Formats: sequence, C-alpha cells, structure tokens
Amino acid sequence: MAQPDAEKAQGGGASHSKACSRVTEIRPSAGLFDLDLAEFWRFRELLVTLTVRDIQILYKQAALGAAWAVIQPIFAVAILSVVFGRVVKLSSGTTPYPLFAFAAMLLWTYFAEALRRSATMMVNDAELIRKVYFPRLVMPIAGVIAPLLDFVLGLVVLIILMAWYSIAPGWRIILAPAFVLMAGLLALSVGLWLGPINVRFRDIKHTLPFLIQVWMFASPVIYPLSLVPDNLKWIYSLNPMVGAIEGFRWAVLGFEGVSFLAILIGAALTAALLCGGLVFFRRMERTFADTI
Amino acid sequence: MNSNIAIKVGGVGKLYYRGRARHDSLRDKIEDAITGLFGRKAGNDKETGSFWALKNANFEIARGENVGIIGLNGAGKSTLLKVLSRIVTPTEGRAYVRGRLGALLEVGTGFHHELTGRENVYLYGSVLGMSRREIASKFNAIVEFSEIADFIDTPVKRYSSGMYVRLAFAVAAHLDPEVLLLDEVLAVGDFTFQRKCIEFSRQLQQRGVTILFVSHNMFSIKAMCRRVIYLKRGQIVFDGPTEEGLTLFEGDSRLSTAPWFHAEEKVPPIEFDYISLCAGSGEEKTIFAHGESMVVRLRYRASRPIRLPDFRVGFDRIDGMHCCTYSSASDGIGLGEISGQGEIELRTPPLKLVADQYTATICVCEGIDGRLICGLHGETFHVGHDKFNKDGFGVFNERGEWSFTPRSP
Repeated sequence: MAQPDAEKAQGGGASHSKACSRVTEIRPSAGLFDLDLAEFWRFRELLVTLTVRDIQILYKQAALGAAWAVIQPIFAVAILSVVFGRVVKLSSGTTPYPLFAFAAMLLWTYFAEALRRSATMMVNDAELIRKVYFPRLVMPIAGVIAPLLDFVLGLVVLIILMAWYSIAPGWRIILAPAFVLMAGLLALSVGLWLGPINVRFRDIKHTLPFLIQVWMFASPVIYPLSLVPDNLKWIYSLNPMVGAIEGFRWAVLGFEGVSFLAILIGAALTAALLCGGLVFFRRMERTFADTI
Repeated sequence: MNSNIAIKVGGVGKLYYRGRARHDSLRDKIEDAITGLFGRKAGNDKETGSFWALKNANFEIARGENVGIIGLNGAGKSTLLKVLSRIVTPTEGRAYVRGRLGALLEVGTGFHHELTGRENVYLYGSVLGMSRREIASKFNAIVEFSEIADFIDTPVKRYSSGMYVRLAFAVAAHLDPEVLLLDEVLAVGDFTFQRKCIEFSRQLQQRGVTILFVSHNMFSIKAMCRRVIYLKRGQIVFDGPTEEGLTLFEGDSRLSTAPWFHAEEKVPPIEFDYISLCAGSGEEKTIFAHGESMVVRLRYRASRPIRLPDFRVGFDRIDGMHCCTYSSASDGIGLGEISGQGEIELRTPPLKLVADQYTATICVCEGIDGRLICGLHGETFHVGHDKFNKDGFGVFNERGEWSFTPRSP
C-alpha cells in the first residue's frame, strides 16, 4: 500500500517535538464585535478554491463555453437599443445609446449575479456547512468574486464597442475599478444580510429575483439619471447602485451629467451596510449548521 | 493545558430545539401563529420542546491515544464530533484541541460532480484544510492510493460510487493531522479497500496521531481503540477499556431499536422483552458451530392489534453485512391478527454462515403492504469454523456436488 507522507512516519518522536502547537479553544459564544478576521485569513486558500470551483463549473458542458458571458449582455443591449434607443428615443446625451446601456448593463449584471450568489451560496452548499468547519464568511465573498470573470469578458466587448463608435476613454478610466469595487461590496453587504436569513427562511430565495428586477428599474441602467424628476432625486440617490452606475459610466465613457453627491451617498451607505452585515453575519453563522 | 493532552472537554453541552429541525419558512411561522391564536398548539411538545443532544461531557484524551465513541443512534456521538470540529457551537462548557485538527464526518463532502477527479482533489483537499501547495506536493501519492489514475481527468459524475469513495478517502488520508475525528467513514467501499483504510489508520496510530472514532462497527472499534467512551442519551455513561465498554454496550443494546429503524408511531405498536438463542437441543448459547441449527425464542407484547404480522429474524455480520433473513410470512405462517402478549420460536435449518461474529435482528412488518413497525437489535453470537471465513468463502458455505473429468491431450 502507498505510504503517504513518508517523512512524517518516524512515529511518536516527531509529534512530541510539536509540543507547542496551536491550541484551539471551543466555547459557547463570542462577543458581538468579535469578527476574528485572523481566522478568516487562515482560510484564504479555501476562498481561492471555492472561487475557482465556481468559475470551473460555470460553463462545463456548454458547447459555447465562456462565450455565453458575452452573448447574454449583447442580446440584452440589442433589444434595449431597439426599444429605448429607436422606439422610445430616450436621450442619452452625446453618448450613443447602445454604449450608454451596455456599460451600465455590464456593471448591473455583475452586481445582480454577485448578490444572488452571495445570498444563496450557504444554502446551495449546505452539505459543506453541515459537515466541515471553516469561517462561513468565505462563502459570500467567493460568491462576489467568481462573477468578476464574466464582467471582465464583457469589458472586452465594451472596449470593442467603444472602438466601433470611436470613443476613446479619458484619464478617468483609472477610476473605473473603484466603481466596480463599490458594486461588489454592495452586493456583498446585501448578501451578508440576506444570506443568514435565507439559511433560516428559504423565502429569500424566492424573493431575490423579484428584488433584483425591481432594483434594476430603480437604478439608471436603461435610462439616464437626468430623467428622474428633481423632487425625487434625493430619495432616488439613497439607492447606492445609482452612484456606482453613474460613476462607472462617467469613468469609462466620459458620460456627463453625473451626480457626485449620489456617488458619495452610495459609498457611505455601502460602507454602513457592509459593517452592519459583517457583524450580523458573524453573529448568525454560529447557528448555520443547526438550522440549515 | 498540559502539553501531553490533545483534547480536553469540560462540561460541554449542546441544546437543540426540535422546532428548528424542520425546514421552516415564513409560511410555517405564520401558520403556527394562526393555529396558536385559536388555542390549538401547533405540533405537540415533543416537536417544539428542546433537548440536550449532549450534556456535561468531561474527558481528556492524551496525545497519540485512540478512543472509540459508541452509543445508540441519537446518543450524541455525532454532536460531540461536530462540537470538537467547530461545525456547531456548544451551548455550554469549554473544549480545547491541541494541534492541527482533521475532521472526517463524511467522505467526499464538497466533491462537485461536474469537476474532474483532479479538480476535485484540490477542491476537497482545501475543504479539509490543506493548502494548495501541500495538495500539489502530495498529488501523486493521493492518485496512487486511490487506484484510479486512469480516470483522474474524467468528471466524477462518470465515476462508480466505489471510485468516488476511493478518491475522496485518498485525499482525506493525506491530510496529515495531529488530531483526527472520524465518523463512520471507514464503513465505505468494498472489502479490500476497507482493509486498506484500517491499515492506514494503524499507520496514523503509529505516527502518534490522536484519533477519536465514532462507529457502529464494533469490529473496527476493537481493532483500533483500547479505550471507549459510551454515550447514552447525551451523557457519558462509561469511559474506559474497550472490552468492558463493549460488553456494557452490547448488554444495553440487546433489544434496543436498530440504527436504521425510524418509528412512525409515538407508542411502539409492538415490543419485545425477551430473546434467547439456543442450540437445537434447547440450551442457551452464544457460540455455534458451522452447520448447527439455531433456535431463536422471542416474547412480544403488542400495544394494539396488529393485522397480518410478518415476524422476521435476520443475521448481520459484525462488519455490517446483512447475511440472511427468516420471515414467518414467507415461510407460510399466516397470522390473521395478533394482540397482547405471546411467544415465538424460530428453528433455523443448519446454519452455513462462515466463521465470524453476528447479530440477530428482529423486524415486524404489518399488513399486505408490509409496513415496517418494529426494528430491533437482538443478540450477538459467534459461528466457529477453522476454514470457512469471510475472506475466502464469502457469506456462507454449502457443500456442492462436483464431478471431475480429466482429459489427456
């Protein structure tokens, strides 16, 4: 029979030399703000593995493979361009409507997928929670990272589209990653709130597609922010995705008429949601294995 | 904590709420609230009450010690392992584990069927707590141990269940922990692979790994552990030498509900309070010779009338192999309806089982559809023979009639 790990096979002597190895304490409950990020850091490799797994299985046994990441948004934007660009004739300023819609749709698709994954991964991988220990925070974070691949593939299409319309990005393009990060963190923080509730009440799973759809219409994806009546703008800006999408379009396409106030409000709200979400998630994860 | 102690458990308890056990959705909650409004409590107390799956557990395990955990289903064995592996949080008490912990509560958790064997080795390895570099350095050894090198780049959904288990166990076997928690994982795979696993556990033992081992298989407990902890309804009732613990456990599990039986009725419709295994001549015994007949005597008490009962006595080998079953209905004993108390005697034909240890189990089925209403562990017995063993002869040995015609070329 194979002898794994021959170098460790010297018997008891070897293990006694490890006399000072780490002692893990197991106790009923930790404090409210005990985030234990050091423990999370020890499991960073699992985060990488779960993310890689999600990417690997995404397009297995699909003949077109990763091309789907590009086909879907292109079709969506083609339809939107016909309906809103030609029929309804929405004003998208100096930017051609297909570009205007595609840039926002790209970021939105990433956000929606990241949110869906981070909120449902615990339940979809319930077996892991029931049978293995790891900081559960790994799951929603992996859920937010994996769809970045699709986003990057879509970005290539965006660049080709921009070349087609001969629009060159300005210096502001270097700020684009900040808005992607903002969308990702927002998806994570909402996932941190909804995920633990989904573990307890599966209703979240059924509410989520609906929530995402309503949220999209409440964000400037297919129409510009300037279309929103002035007296409603302040409440509209309480949606952090307004800031993220507007900012992204401004950074990539140089789209004018961006509201920096909306970006600031969005960033602040995202930060608050994220901090609260982390505490809530850590508090709830102790009972995941009991209730899932 | 003394550096020679690998696991220290002090006053650990875990409280579960039965209400949480079901998959609740908001609708259930609202339903409960509405039924509550009208004065009828949803479910009975048994469903909504709480219970201690583990209570006041105290023990220490020295470095390199191997300890078996025994007990009936629901005694808290798995809860104990889950607390120690940090999957669930204890309700009270403290526990300490020294060194790198490996927990195998199931073989192949996290395997993804769309991924290839190679991809799954990395996935499962990380899930168990190995670093990617560590997995890469052990990859060849893992594949060799699994004996499925030819299929390593095939998606595991095309694997047979045997191959799947082999690959998963091969990864787990290379975990190299200082403390290992094992839950029934050796009870998988075919016999040769099982033996390989036991041999492997022995190697871990020699390396000084501390192993805490849950099993229903007394054979592997005996083979691996000198000390057992016996749990009964969440409490530790015995902690000491294996032989003594197993004797106590076997005595207790005599006529206890079998692990695979799940009661549907609150009051058991039929119970047994007496079992004895006898030789054909009538005297009670526990060691039988190969080819000897056995008489099984049972006494039952039915709490309600039972229609068309079918009494069954089965023999399970110690390694879990279900060898045979005698059924009163199949043997043409038509019983219309029984109630109250009664006695049953089964006389078997000469038993041709190979030499090993067996448990007689009792089942009762009811009605035309044969609904299982009782499943018990009966009594343990041995069959002796110096040649017919399970390795060479399988389950039983019957004399065949041979004719042999040599032909010269």
